[in-house]
Amino acid sequence: MAIIKTQDLSKVYNPDTIPVHALRDVNISFEEGEFTAVRGPSGSGKTTLLNMLGGLDKPTGGSVWINGEDISAMKDSDRIDFRLKNIGFVFQHYNLIPVFTARENVSFIMLLQKRDKKEIQKRADELLDQVGLGERKDARPVQLSGGQQQRVAVARALASEPKFILADEPTANLDTKAAMNLLDIMERMNKEENVTFIFSTHDQRVIDRARRVVTMVDGAIHKDEVKEVTQAG
Amino acid sequence: MKTLLTIAWRNIWRHPARSSVMIIAIVVGLWAGVVTVGIMNGMMIQRTNYMIESEITHAQIHHPEFLSEGYSRLYIPDHGNITAWLDEDERVQSYTNRTLTDGMIQSAVKTSGIRIRGVDIEAERATTTFHENMTEGEYLDSDISNAVIVGEALAEAHNMDIGHRVVLTFENVDNELTSGAYNIVGFFRSASVNYDERNVFVRAEDFNRLLSPEPLVHEIAVMLNHEEMADGFVNDVNSTFSGIEAQTWRQLSPELSMIVELGGVMMVVITAIIMIALAFGILNTMLMALFERMRELGMLISIGMSRMRVFAMIMLESMILTFSGAIVGMGIAVLHLSYYKDAGMNIEVFAGGAAQLGWDHIIYPVLTTNEYVAILSVVICITLLASVYPAIKGVRVNPLEASKSN
Repeated sequence: MAIIKTQDLSKVYNPDTIPVHALRDVNISFEEGEFTAVRGPSGSGKTTLLNMLGGLDKPTGGSVWINGEDISAMKDSDRIDFRLKNIGFVFQHYNLIPVFTARENVSFIMLLQKRDKKEIQKRADELLDQVGLGERKDARPVQLSGGQQQRVAVARALASEPKFILADEPTANLDTKAAMNLLDIMERMNKEENVTFIFSTHDQRVIDRARRVVTMVDGAIHKDEVKEVTQAG
Repeated sequence: MKTLLTIAWRNIWRHPARSSVMIIAIVVGLWAGVVTVGIMNGMMIQRTNYMIESEITHAQIHHPEFLSEGYSRLYIPDHGNITAWLDEDERVQSYTNRTLTDGMIQSAVKTSGIRIRGVDIEAERATTTFHENMTEGEYLDSDISNAVIVGEALAEAHNMDIGHRVVLTFENVDNELTSGAYNIVGFFRSASVNYDERNVFVRAEDFNRLLSPEPLVHEIAVMLNHEEMADGFVNDVNSTFSGIEAQTWRQLSPELSMIVELGGVMMVVITAIIMIALAFGILNTMLMALFERMRELGMLISIGMSRMRVFAMIMLESMILTFSGAIVGMGIAVLHLSYYKDAGMNIEVFAGGAAQLGWDHIIYPVLTTNEYVAILSVVICITLLASVYPAIKGVRVNPLEASKSN
């Protein structure tokens, strides 16, 4: 069943001066449990598509439906609340709160959800263990490597128990080892806990691991292929 | 709320040097402002009290034209009726009769224009504190006949010393020039050099012998139980007696009244200057902090932190930053003022000039609880106002900022 669906989704920047068509009537859907990479050259519209799917930006045409709700028609405050409850984000630049420890960064989103304190503590610890940072829970971002920070970001995205996670170029700033390690973690979460991941990426390492690859060119879907990924080991 | 407080507190210490400088600036600014206001308050109160207690008193009664003309013939008619009335009035703490006229003092060196003040020693002592201004020699209760006390400044100008004789010349009640030889028995120093140069004191009975066949009273100075009673008292005297005019100290000394009013205005001005500096300091610090964190704020809004919470977080940061400094600054100011309230603050370095203007050089700063509360309330309001703009800017951050590179 499709948890995300777009209908004639369009985005035009500068419509009154020099219009730039970032998205052109995109119709696409994503099923629960997918591990999908959205690829394409710079300016192809992949980040814009992810921003629309995450409700971070409003389309100039068409709509985005998540679990049957049209998020493009929502008020800004409702969209923020919707994101808190339904969507996890992993950013290229990690974007952790620098004054918080790894545990506090993971706990923060659950505090926003007003969950029970004990439950928050337990889940934050579990998630940090799962991403291999059980020993670095009290470290601040500045004390962690890029790969470790991005793993904290994945734990944070998972903490809110979202319907799906949007990851914008998650491996762009990581070396191969850290990138592969991160992909292993996300793939395991996908397989073991059926977490849906949608990436925008240039990175061939991510594309190789994705089970579905959507290729965008000039704001439109050029190719959408589902493949069988052969896992080493 | 606890989470917001935690994040706000830690955000402040993200740049310890910047926040410390801001807090120190608030501490120093508030301390300096509060102490300055306290000193000014103290100066105003001391000056007012001194003038009231040493000479002016709460109210005075004169012939309606005496203050503008100064002639000895403009005395208070039937002053006995008035003093009998004063004896019966419960508001009156004490009063004293004075015989006054303008004249000249002639020493071996030169001649100067002065006001001659004939006083009833006992009543004057019971009513004012002027006798406490004696710096050398005796007060007028000396055994020496025709005693006169002069200001230090006048004595210096005339090269006079105790025991010297001077001649006082003035118009008597019949407009005839009269002179008398007086013996200097003491020197006084009031808070005003100008006053000291232009006034001499003699015993009223000595003065009256030369002035008129009958004892004259030109001024009745009245000390009341409370300063607030002055207006009502003066109204009652004016409606009861004719041919005289009673005035409060504010009417008698408009410059003193103006100083009191100005003191209030100065307090507002000083507080406003400090607060404007504080407001710009907060605004600058918070805007710098905000612009550095646009991507982080975008991330917070992206992951689901409401704009209201972002607003509250930024406001909290400003409030914590300001209050940390304000509480310490206020605390130091309270300790400082508490100490000097009793010990007095010696501003002798500046007192040369201050004395010319009639100010004491030992200042006892005063700041009431209401004034502390008022200053703190203004700090709170200014902080809130100065924080609103950065907070609104923070609220308006686009969540897409989270995806941007530095």
